[in-house]
Amino acid sequence: MIVGFRPGAGFLHRAHPFTPLAITVSVALLAFVLPGTGGPLLLLLAVSLLAVAAGVGGVLAPALVLAIPFWLFLIILHGLLDATPDRAVLIGARITAMLVTFTTAVAVVHPARLVDALLERGLPFSVAYLFAATLQAVPRLRERAREILDAQRCRGLRVRGSLLNRATAVVPLAVPLVLGALTEVDERAMALEARGVGAATSRTPLAPPADHPVERWVRWALLALPAVVLVVRFVG
Amino acid sequence: MAPRLLALIPLAVGINWAMGQFVAATHLPVYLDTVGTVLVAALAGISPALATGVVSQTVLATLGGNVIWLWFLPVQLAVAALAGLAAQRGGFASWRRAVVIGAGVGALAAALSAPIAFFAFGGVTGGGVTVITTVLRALGVPLGPAVVMASVVTDVLDKAVTFTLVRSILIALPGRTAARFPATGRALGRS
Repeated sequence: MIVGFRPGAGFLHRAHPFTPLAITVSVALLAFVLPGTGGPLLLLLAVSLLAVAAGVGGVLAPALVLAIPFWLFLIILHGLLDATPDRAVLIGARITAMLVTFTTAVAVVHPARLVDALLERGLPFSVAYLFAATLQAVPRLRERAREILDAQRCRGLRVRGSLLNRATAVVPLAVPLVLGALTEVDERAMALEARGVGAATSRTPLAPPADHPVERWVRWALLALPAVVLVVRFVG
Repeated sequence: MAPRLLALIPLAVGINWAMGQFVAATHLPVYLDTVGTVLVAALAGISPALATGVVSQTVLATLGGNVIWLWFLPVQLAVAALAGLAAQRGGFASWRRAVVIGAGVGALAAALSAPIAFFAFGGVTGGGVTVITTVLRALGVPLGPAVVMASVVTDVLDKAVTFTLVRSILIALPGRTAARFPATGRALGRS
């Protein structure tokens, strides 16, 4: 399953791209420092409401689908075998809260806006390019892998049988995929060189996302929140 | 970063992801999600392999929407660094060497992934490794040792297959392509 950006005009879509990322980091930490089983469950409720309020309530379905295998094994391992259902709920709520927040961030932050925001903060163009080019390369190579699999099956490749047979079958699948990809490297390298990627000058983003001072404070507060909770718990 | 590496790394990450389709088709109990990273280590060295590991884990977590993968970034980085060191010392010079080094890297990867899986997620990471953990737990093995044993079994097998596969690829490289990546000869013990 591929989760991606969802166009919209909600407050998180309009926010600076670093804000949803700050929420993601904050939730990932809060999931571990909030007390008891109730803390992570409340956090899960809060991030689910946030997704709905931001107009991307649709991400809840894929996030929950991603969480199902975790819950299944947590119920078996901790609920049934270890007889510690509270622990199953605690870890399940943690994981689901992180999944919901992350899918929300992916849905509201357009990769191009994130790249512009990073370039504005001085990130080298090569790093931004790496992430943008990879996002394009992954679906293309997946498609090519499917074509190679179909082609080799047509030629009689057996992908069933003993463990050794199946492991051997991976070689005629992987080698054409990798060699095909490597033949592209020269072409792409020349194209990058022609566009001055190796130049030492920094690039100026055409339309950097607006960043309000209040939003900056909110981000710092979000990142400080887990530390505050930890201190309160430690002192209390 | 050199344009050639900028062109190579996205493709290597794509290979990491695409290998999942071959694993699904063959029903092998491995991930093969570090083939691209190990290949970059053999072709270009440690630093590009580390960059591949970071980009791979970040992008795959983003595309899959599965933030849990980000927690295992240290494992990708360790595999990248160890594969780079192995390649510098001719780690892909023979089939036996590739299998043994791959298994060793797998054991070290398990030493990193098991504590993350146990302490952060109670031994549940949603993958095939959790199935093995559950079976071991059902047989009466305590949770901690079950997580460690499951991680060792899957990671050792996975990395041994990965390193063998990368050796197959390095051997099959056309001379013209291999010449573009001088480190290849050293990885195969030819220089």
